[in-house]
Amino acid sequence: MIGKDNHQNGWLTGQTKSITFIVTKDCQLACKYCYLVGKNSKERMSGEVAKQAIDYIIAHESDFLEESVVWDFIGGEPFLEINLIDQICDYIKIELFKHNHHWFNSFRFVFTTNGINYNSDKVQSFIKKHKSHLNITITIDGTRRKHDLNRIWKTKEMEKGIMPKPEEERGSYDDVVKNIPLYLSQFPNASAKVTISSADISYISESVLHLYSLGIHEVNINCVFEDVWNEGDDLRFEEQLTELADAIIDGGYYKDYACSFFTEHMGKPLDCKLQNQNWCGAGRMLAVDAAGNFYPCTRFAQYSLREKKAWIIGNIHDGIDQNKLRPFLTLDRCTQSNQECIECEVAEGCAWCQGENYDAADTPTVYQRATAICKMHKARVRANNYYWNKLFRKLELEGIAKEEAEKHVKKSNPEIC
Amino acid sequence: MLQYLIILLDDTSYSYCHYSDIKTERRLIGLDTLKRGILFAMKENLNIQFVYPDYELPEAYREVIDSIDHTDIKPSAVSDGADVVVVNGCRSLEQMTVDIGVSYVLRTDKSDLFANYRLIMEVLTQATRVNVVLTDVETFTDDDFAGYKRVLGELSENVEKLYVGGKTPQLNILTDRMMLDRMNNCGAGDNNLTLAPNGKFYVCPAFYMENETNDVGDLDSGLHVKNKQLYKLDHAPLCRICDAWQCKRCVWLNRKTTLEVNTPGHEQCVAAHLERNASRELLSNIRKCATFLPEREEIKEITYLDPFEIKEQW
Repeated sequence: MIGKDNHQNGWLTGQTKSITFIVTKDCQLACKYCYLVGKNSKERMSGEVAKQAIDYIIAHESDFLEESVVWDFIGGEPFLEINLIDQICDYIKIELFKHNHHWFNSFRFVFTTNGINYNSDKVQSFIKKHKSHLNITITIDGTRRKHDLNRIWKTKEMEKGIMPKPEEERGSYDDVVKNIPLYLSQFPNASAKVTISSADISYISESVLHLYSLGIHEVNINCVFEDVWNEGDDLRFEEQLTELADAIIDGGYYKDYACSFFTEHMGKPLDCKLQNQNWCGAGRMLAVDAAGNFYPCTRFAQYSLREKKAWIIGNIHDGIDQNKLRPFLTLDRCTQSNQECIECEVAEGCAWCQGENYDAADTPTVYQRATAICKMHKARVRANNYYWNKLFRKLELEGIAKEEAEKHVKKSNPEIC
Repeated sequence: MLQYLIILLDDTSYSYCHYSDIKTERRLIGLDTLKRGILFAMKENLNIQFVYPDYELPEAYREVIDSIDHTDIKPSAVSDGADVVVVNGCRSLEQMTVDIGVSYVLRTDKSDLFANYRLIMEVLTQATRVNVVLTDVETFTDDDFAGYKRVLGELSENVEKLYVGGKTPQLNILTDRMMLDRMNNCGAGDNNLTLAPNGKFYVCPAFYMENETNDVGDLDSGLHVKNKQLYKLDHAPLCRICDAWQCKRCVWLNRKTTLEVNTPGHEQCVAAHLERNASRELLSNIRKCATFLPEREEIKEITYLDPFEIKEQW
């Protein structure tokens, strides 16, 4: 059992299925940019629902042929349900073994957490028990002032719809940052997830550098996809990224630290035949909630949707209705894009979230791409161009040819859902 | 491009397609609404198709309808002057007097079709055209598909004899594909829209019957079909690479089964491909006996019944 249990080397690099358990819709925080509009403390997954979901998935092995699986746990805040999660992980391991399932030697348990109860005995005990299979990402937005601007504690009044005055808001920075040393001691190569909204653009540069100073070498950062951007945000964003580019290059951080905002592969036009893939993995993933309903990804569960009905593709009793997955599995970039996006000269690297597309669409469809992020992408492209032009020139002056530059720059590995 | 306007004259207008006759209470379209609908069609240069209930309309309505060139879709009970007659179930064909020059729509389900399909052949010896509409195609199982394939094969043998004998009746599920050189789908939301008795426009009658709030405009404010590109073939990834050209590509069924108007469910695809393949066989057999449609190419042999199965090859 011990031999089989050591899967770090068993992880296969081919296609991976992502299966998400929405274990709770509750969270200690009430982040202002959170897309989960229907969070509540009532919808908690039961052990029985979780088991039935796992039983269904394992019993239908031929429908899940990907080489590897990521068992993803999401909330709300997943670690609020650490006892349940521990049971689920044990059950998964036992059942995969019992059924001699092809995933037995190739699975990971993945968490994105607000990090608040990371140091609790229960979470630490869980980490110790399953460490060889774990990937944990803590969301910390950067400096105290950036983090506390959005990531505030939930109050009882909020549940009644009464929002606190700005001076009454309580940020969560101190509650998270205290756990970073422990986190990094357990996962030295861990990354941080950062979210950018309109209000905190001015703190991007200082925040990325702050995370580097905490010992986090990889910062995965993205702008929210929702239509929240104001006039002039793109220019302020570009200015911040340019400032960050200077700091990373002048400070030599590029050798050992990465920021997902800067990538060589973006900002070029895309071909509708040769580069027509969908960005998002919705439909290739599977999510299950406390009611036992299946979704193409968590973003299609009702608590994630402002305007539209949940896109349910089945449930743990009746299984998955494959017809409801067909739109996702045949979706391509150009069919869902408007003409401006198709003809965009900097289209490469422009991301979208299928769930946000669906929620923002004029009709209930995943075939209408939301473009709220357009100006921000273009600003990012300009700053990204600046970054690489400056970096390549610096390396060139140091005697490193452009073709050799890759070896001297740490690359980011942003997770694309 | 919009070409046709379908006008439902009453809430109990007979279904001529996949959707069921859900509404049972009569609601005759207002005479003024009817006039405005006709005026709209004239100004937009649309051909009108009127869909009738099973009772005689008042004289004033008949006069207004006759004021414009149009097509009448009527149930068999009131079929005088109809261009298209709708019958429900194969058994209804037995007592029917067939009128040359009239097209017949046979609405049937799997149990009826599998048991009574021979009645279609009797009608085909006299009728010019029969359209078979499978009202429960979305419920077909593998066994049902096997049954449908068998029915198509037997119908095909009979159609072949008629063609070789010099008669050329049209049976949509077998002969349409032979005649076509491109997709010829229903076109709801693209080349046709529906005006309902409430004065509002709908993608097709099924959307109205399902929920009156599905409207895409009204006679006062005009049309506002949102995401109208999704009703076009080039925005349907599965269909645009498909050559089951006779498929109705029912956008209402699409939405019902896959939640998207541009994506057909597995069952609609398989049924259409069984028809396509039966047409291929029929065309080949007729050509063994006589020169037939020499300008048309052979229908290619394919190995799949659902284009979704080969999506990795697109």
